[in-house]
Amino acid sequence: MMEVTYLGVIIKAILILAIISAVAGFGTYIERKILAFMQRRLGPMHVGPYGLLQIAADGIKLFTKEDFIPQNANKLIFMIAPIITAATAFIALSAVPVFPDFTIFGIFVPSVASDINIGILFVLGMMAAGLYGPLLAGMSQANKWGLIGAARTAAQFVSYEVVTGLSLLAPIMMVGSLSLIDFNHYNETHAWMVFTQPLAFVLFLIAGFAETNRTPFDLLEHEAEVVAGYATEYSGMRWGMFFIGEYANMITIAVLASIVFLGGYTDLGFIPGWLAIILKIAFMFFLMLWVRASWPHVRPDQFMWLAWKVLMPLAVINVVITGIVIMV
Amino acid sequence: MIPFAFYLFAVLITGLFLVAVLSRNVLYAMTSLAAGMVLISGLFFILGADFLGVVQLIVYVGAVMGLYAFAMMFFDVSREVRETRSNPWLVFLLGGGIALMLVVMFAAPIVGDSVKALYPPVAHTTNPQAVGLVLFTKYLLPFEVASVMLLVAMIAGIILAGRKMEISLSAMDEDILPETKENA
Amino acid sequence: MSLEQFKNRNVGVQHYRMLDLSHTPQTGWGQFKQVVRRTLSLELFVGLKVTLREMTKALFFGKMHTTKYPFEKLPVGPRYRAIHEMKRLLESGHYRCIGCGLCEKICPADAIRIETAYGEDQRKQVQEYTINFGRCIFCGYCAEVCPELAIVHGGRYETASEQRASFSLFDDMLTPIDRLKEQKEFPGYGSVSPDADKRIHKTPLAY
Repeated sequence: MMEVTYLGVIIKAILILAIISAVAGFGTYIERKILAFMQRRLGPMHVGPYGLLQIAADGIKLFTKEDFIPQNANKLIFMIAPIITAATAFIALSAVPVFPDFTIFGIFVPSVASDINIGILFVLGMMAAGLYGPLLAGMSQANKWGLIGAARTAAQFVSYEVVTGLSLLAPIMMVGSLSLIDFNHYNETHAWMVFTQPLAFVLFLIAGFAETNRTPFDLLEHEAEVVAGYATEYSGMRWGMFFIGEYANMITIAVLASIVFLGGYTDLGFIPGWLAIILKIAFMFFLMLWVRASWPHVRPDQFMWLAWKVLMPLAVINVVITGIVIMV
Repeated sequence: MIPFAFYLFAVLITGLFLVAVLSRNVLYAMTSLAAGMVLISGLFFILGADFLGVVQLIVYVGAVMGLYAFAMMFFDVSREVRETRSNPWLVFLLGGGIALMLVVMFAAPIVGDSVKALYPPVAHTTNPQAVGLVLFTKYLLPFEVASVMLLVAMIAGIILAGRKMEISLSAMDEDILPETKENA
Repeated sequence: MSLEQFKNRNVGVQHYRMLDLSHTPQTGWGQFKQVVRRTLSLELFVGLKVTLREMTKALFFGKMHTTKYPFEKLPVGPRYRAIHEMKRLLESGHYRCIGCGLCEKICPADAIRIETAYGEDQRKQVQEYTINFGRCIFCGYCAEVCPELAIVHGGRYETASEQRASFSLFDDMLTPIDRLKEQKEFPGYGSVSPDADKRIHKTPLAY
């Protein structure tokens, strides 16, 4: 199809890293602003116009803060753990196509850094591996809150991976491919998957919230219960890396939902594809913040109950019904 | 490029699994085991078996190691584990024997110069399709047996876990719980 | 005003609805029905609607709550008891304090210290007047007891300072002489109420 040069791949990898880190940083600003507006506050206002440079201020703060390692902690694992979170989040993004293919300076640029034909599974797998960030962080820091956070990480991620996988199975069956690019091509000729698979969409959203550790399900570091969970003993840039990873994961989930369920980067009427997908991703991101502003946390036992007794059976039923409809 | 990647992965995997076996620290052992699992999926990617690589990632790294880790929560990870070997020679013989057997098993086709793919991939199929074709034709029976086995294991697990589900320790009177009192 | 009314003042009309918790489902089937009912009645979306409504209100209808504090300040009530002010007589510009020492006597925290002496015109003069704001509990007795309305509580509530003495000297609290015109009569503790004219029908001497 195209000639993949190593240089091109490296440039794209660097671009993804740079852009997503920047967007993740900007995401914190957006989150603070939107949450503030929903509580009729102004949010950050003082650093730069409308507080736009707050990211820079936060960055300087995080970089210059003391990087604290507790005495009884397992130092090596403690130091590696945040890197795992950030790295897996970015690796997951390497298989996600965000924009349509385009040509720049006469060079054809495919939309995805590495077009492996099982893109969607790779993203899920990488997010599954992302479990080790919070898990090792919580276990290595010799802190009971961290340990509780780690236990919750293991329970939450393992349970909700099941739901994510099963909820995506029905769309995968309809498309007949695991490549995200095929998903996008499917949208060109068919209705958006959100209309044909509404249940799968809802399940994927719920599981996505759980996997990215967003508010109704952010039991890993729920301040009111476990101080800061797995991030209790972290400070400075190591703490920051957990959150860059979290925001990168949020973007991944937003992109996945946009491509699989919301029509991807196909042209939407008069809106060109690249703009359409940016709008969709922005809406998904906004939805996450909106939900955070609106809904309370769930209790851990209710959370597990939800996964195994409600969502997983629903996902299985959805798969079965989809299978029957496809067969008939 | 590919041989280089293979040797890199091979050395790393062996090293990490050695750490997993030899380390006295539970946390190191678990981390290196998980990292080794991730690198094994790298081997699958080199072989062009993308699907198996991702399955390795999801199942072993995501789920199985996650459950191991859950069990590790009961240990004090900052303390070193002291193993008691009552019969080191037996351990050495059994372990070495099994390792030797595995090596012979995997090396035999290479020595015999008859490395042939029994089920070469059908043309114009993607990776998951190829796996599915083999799995649902030739290996349908083992596949179904395995699924029944997993179902049995799952039901057994639910029964074992759910036996005392209706008893809530936190709702009990403290007088009925002498053993917890002693622990506290 | 009854006590109940007094406690509930400023709360406004209450629209609280009590949850009916007496009918919590006990059986599994009942819990299942509750979950289905709650899911399908879209209760969750009400929460989303509320936050979105608040956001549109704040952004487009000027209902933002934030006061940009150091730049804009909320008015404090007239009865608020912050840092003291010493008032001057409007006509002569002389300070009102007659050196009676009642404030020093009544101060429960023993924060006020006053030293007086007879001046050349044989009137009592305030030599030194300090309030120790490390001890002042802002009870307002001094303003209430003052017969001349000379010491009152002002509205200056930003009391952080590098020097403990910054507010507490007599001259600091006294209205500057060039800003005598801006001196406002104190409406709070110890002063006559704004509708005093209506309430006092006769001069005190009449009875």
